[in-house]
Amino acid sequence: MNEPHTSARTHVTGESEFVDDRPATRGELFVELVLSAHAHARIKAIDPSKALRHPGVAAVFTAGDFHSNLWGTIFKDQPLLAEQVTAYHGEPVALVAAESREAARAGRSLVEIDYEPLPALLSIAAARTANSFIAPAREIARGDAKVAFLAAPRRLEGRIVIRGADHFYLENQASIAYPREDGQIEVHSSSQHPTETQHVVAHALGLSYKDVVCIVKRLGGGFGGKESQAAPFAAYAALVASKLGRPARVILSKDDDMVITGKRNPFENLYKVGFDHEGRLLSLEVELYSDGGAYADLSTSIMERAMLHCDNAYFIPNVRIRGQVCRTNFHPHTAFRGFGGPKGVATIERIIEEVAHAVGRDPLEIRKLNCYAPEGPRAVTPYGQTVRNNCLPKLLDRLARDSDYAARRARIRRHNEESLSGSDSRTLRGLSLVPVKFGISFTTRFLNQANALVLVHRDGSIQVSTGATEMGQGVNAKLARLVARELGLPRDHVRIMPTATDKNANTSPTAASSGADLNGAAAVLATRKIKARLSELAVSLLEIPESRWARHTAGLGTEPEIQVGPVAINEEDPNFGADWETGVASYHGMRFENGSVFAANSPKRHLSFAALVNEAYHHRISLSEHAHYRIPGLSFNKLTGQGDAFLYYTQGAALSEVSVNLDTGELKVLCARILMDLGRPVNSGIDLGQVTGAFIQGMGWVTTEKLHYNARGALLSHAPSTYKIPSIQDTPRDFQVELLPNNDSRASLNGMKAVGEPPLLLALSVWTAAHDALKSLEAYRRTYPRLELPATQEELLRGIFPEKFRHWEIRPGAGK
Amino acid sequence: MMLADYLRLERALTGTKIVCAEGDCGACSVLRAFPLSGSLFLPINSCVIRVAQLDGSSIVTVDGLRDGKLTPIQDAIVRCHGSQCGYCTPGFVITLTGLVEKRLRSDASRARLEPKEIKNALTGNLCRCTGYQPIVEAAVSVPLSECVSLEERFFPKTRQTELRKILKTPLALASPEPGGFSLHAPTRLADAARLLARDPDARLIGAGTDLGVLHNKGKSGGGTRFVSLHLIPELYRIRRSGRGRLWVGARVTLSELRTALKNRIPEFARFLDLFASPQIKNVATLIGNVGNASPIADTPPFLLVARATVRLLGPKGGRSVPLEEFYLGYRQTAARRGELILAIEFDLPSASERLALYKVSQRKDLDISGVNAAFRVKKGARGTQAIQEIRIAMGGVAAVPLRLRKTESFLAGKALDPETARQALEILQSEINPISDLRGSAAYRRVLAENLFLRFAREQSGESRP
Repeated sequence: MNEPHTSARTHVTGESEFVDDRPATRGELFVELVLSAHAHARIKAIDPSKALRHPGVAAVFTAGDFHSNLWGTIFKDQPLLAEQVTAYHGEPVALVAAESREAARAGRSLVEIDYEPLPALLSIAAARTANSFIAPAREIARGDAKVAFLAAPRRLEGRIVIRGADHFYLENQASIAYPREDGQIEVHSSSQHPTETQHVVAHALGLSYKDVVCIVKRLGGGFGGKESQAAPFAAYAALVASKLGRPARVILSKDDDMVITGKRNPFENLYKVGFDHEGRLLSLEVELYSDGGAYADLSTSIMERAMLHCDNAYFIPNVRIRGQVCRTNFHPHTAFRGFGGPKGVATIERIIEEVAHAVGRDPLEIRKLNCYAPEGPRAVTPYGQTVRNNCLPKLLDRLARDSDYAARRARIRRHNEESLSGSDSRTLRGLSLVPVKFGISFTTRFLNQANALVLVHRDGSIQVSTGATEMGQGVNAKLARLVARELGLPRDHVRIMPTATDKNANTSPTAASSGADLNGAAAVLATRKIKARLSELAVSLLEIPESRWARHTAGLGTEPEIQVGPVAINEEDPNFGADWETGVASYHGMRFENGSVFAANSPKRHLSFAALVNEAYHHRISLSEHAHYRIPGLSFNKLTGQGDAFLYYTQGAALSEVSVNLDTGELKVLCARILMDLGRPVNSGIDLGQVTGAFIQGMGWVTTEKLHYNARGALLSHAPSTYKIPSIQDTPRDFQVELLPNNDSRASLNGMKAVGEPPLLLALSVWTAAHDALKSLEAYRRTYPRLELPATQEELLRGIFPEKFRHWEIRPGAGK
Repeated sequence: MMLADYLRLERALTGTKIVCAEGDCGACSVLRAFPLSGSLFLPINSCVIRVAQLDGSSIVTVDGLRDGKLTPIQDAIVRCHGSQCGYCTPGFVITLTGLVEKRLRSDASRARLEPKEIKNALTGNLCRCTGYQPIVEAAVSVPLSECVSLEERFFPKTRQTELRKILKTPLALASPEPGGFSLHAPTRLADAARLLARDPDARLIGAGTDLGVLHNKGKSGGGTRFVSLHLIPELYRIRRSGRGRLWVGARVTLSELRTALKNRIPEFARFLDLFASPQIKNVATLIGNVGNASPIADTPPFLLVARATVRLLGPKGGRSVPLEEFYLGYRQTAARRGELILAIEFDLPSASERLALYKVSQRKDLDISGVNAAFRVKKGARGTQAIQEIRIAMGGVAAVPLRLRKTESFLAGKALDPETARQALEILQSEINPISDLRGSAAYRRVLAENLFLRFAREQSGESRP
């Protein structure tokens, strides 16, 4: 099935309503934030008097105005507004509410803050020296990595520097709060986590959860940046609304958004790897240090996923992975597509490339040599989970074949030899084929649950509400298709409603690529409960003449009411009772197809779905259902670092061919070929879109997207003029995405697989290909070109001319 | 008030989105017809242009395209999954609509758009969800024969007549409060000079894209009192002036310049492709790029080697200043209070000369340069390898765009052999003094300057090979 996004038509006409598109209501106030001018400082005084005198300014609020000023998803360590101390440059300190945006902006520059600067920790190294950490270090180990390293025939040690990245969702953080009667608050937010937003608002204002409704119609992109970090902006709007009794609008500018909100965590990882002369990995010791920023946010969970992905596709007999989150004075870093996964995979993929270079073999051979086996001890991860439905060897083989890996390799070798022997070409080419195995499930077990509400209306149309938020990934298209499929209806009979906490409570964030899996299963389970009742009713109806149906008789009560029994649905297993091919469950021998309902053994006698629904109403049979789904079998113990952390793995492989200009360091991706295992997609068009988009987003992270901070910890690149996400011209000239048919993954609803994050990691092939290009330089005959991530043009040029850079860096004033 | 704010706040036309408010993402794109420059429905960024500057323009927004059914472009984006979160989508729809309009007007023979022209048109539209590929696929699939021209839909003769009338009427807008916003647009040059003489602190506004950014970001220096030259027809001209020189008026946009120079200075035309977004180039002027005096502006290196002179008009009449003397320091020019830049004149390089222009930025397209460079060289008589005359200019290596005179005089009369190049590089490095900033470290800029010189030298010797 390949059908458009449910909002595609309103997106192209501009009708789709985002938070800031909501019409202004009478008395609405604009809110602007006053941001900290220091990375670390004591706040001695805040003087709002000048701001308050500015025409149009209605109020200025500070930390003390909140009932409770602390929040945090995992640890409650972050103030909504900095109170006595500000811990990062750009941290919100005060709110200015005004009648117009201009007045709010003018007002914010008039709030005077008296700071006493304190020493700031502005690097992972500085935090490590100062023992400034968030939560204790964690470890995942198997065998004895230390001993195996010492015993290994070949050894390598190194360090890998991975920098942060901004989400750069197009819609900046946005919230509007409306004060409602009796102290209630209704908040509309661009949030991936309405439940947490509801809770943060309630805590902040001292309200009970029942008095706060958070509604999310859609997001203009999230990518993890609105998982935890949407909540404070909703709390700001809610505070103003509650204090002043007027609607309040908080819409960030791109600059403020980038300055305030956290990024992908930077990492600096140290590794020791032992291997044999063929390149077989024998031991791996990795110490991961991430920059968590000033507050905990999700950094410990991100670290956990990084640790759980240090194996990627490879079996390593002896492993010790240690992870520690550093507390620094930067914005609190947060979830970003892939969570920690990309940082773990970047580490092992760099190691694989380096090992290949050391033993003089093609990296692809090393990858195949170390790839997880289909079964047996070499199929077990360092945390003790067996890799089931392992498509990795097949992905590597098929992609290498389909993309002519060997021929490309030979062509590139020739090209580089010519370039370096003084031909006209001034480029080096590089090639890399990288597999990815990405674990699907939240590693925090309790998050792996969802609930859904399905309402069948009397005309046979359906409304579905779940905790999933639509941020472009197409979860609504999938949910609508799943429900429509179950009931044999066209998709446009189903509308997915805005995500709202008064319909679905206690939901998890739409994150970890799990939105469609979790909420899809819950929605299908709820639908099946209704379907089972309708099926039983249909059996009875088809046995009696239509003239005796309730729609003719119920008004007078001349016929007895048909009653249906309780429904038995296995909420543990969304595939229970369902046909594997169609994904649809049947009850009482009835089938739902093309808007009709009929007995499978006598298809001639049928009634329309709408008529059946109308009958059900008149027989007082419930047409609404709620269901809950939880992922079974998760046993990962965070303290021991062992157990089944994931329901299944989404896998894929990408080949990237790049060219690097020897004069400028300019990198071009000439070719990208992707082969992806997504099980059995509900909507292959939407899934392919996720793969393409994630790959390009990942490409930005590993190439041009560099965040620049000054020595005082202030972010300098806070807009597209200075922060460079890929443009349309950066897309690979030859870019092909294919799906690997995989009918054997039975872990999730009808064999579908999560797609949101895994393909982002495939872009690491661009980064390793850049290394591969530089490898042909004479300077790297014995050493390996250890590039930072991102490999910007400057980083690449430095890799090409290390001595020239050293020359000018030693004597920066030279030539004056 | 910026157009995007006006649309969203005053007219509740919220299809047009604001993301960056600095003209760098294209989400706010609208189409503008402006008869005076002959441009019909070109995409522009509505976030950095004031409503007052659109005096005499006709604007089509995404909300205006709505008429109950999808346009073929919209339909294609729906079919091809060209939209995910939807926030950038209206901007893409508008820019593609502009491209189709251009095609319908210029070359209706081909049935489809080509990927290359699609990508070039969409350089100024950022999307974070799709990876662009589905958008290109969508645009390629648009059947041009089914597209209705915007001119037909939105620009009837009556409207055109109405606009032409407006374009002949001077504009005087002034808010009543002291220090409030004002914008004056005279229809004659002499009136402009008079206005500036009367209020020398008023800012001359071209496209105002930089001033718009300053305004949106709450920075000072944006000014509140403006004089615009957009109603003065003669400033839209590009003409030959004297022997081998070109005169480019103050209102000539970079897009128009590119079209005009496509055959005359192909190197410069190609260079302009890498520079800024189509939306910006459709309003931004060459004069703005020069007058802004940024050390990393993209046109000055070329203009410096093309012996450009800046034509100024002030209270005491007109004068010419060589571009080299125009830049006094970081963002400082020789223009006096009350003076306006009327035009720029520069050489059209002759057939016996070679021109090489380079730009290096972190992202190839739509990015501000780390270093840019221009080389113009005249070889000696046929058969000799010696350089008769050479001009070199670089941007991003000092506080102003720099002419490298010492390097030039060292090279004059010499053949560019490796040893000469090595010595020239030493001189070059002594002439430049780059700083480290977020577009690159000083060392990076020095290595780039060196490599660009070597590339030029290599290409030189390559060309002189038999």
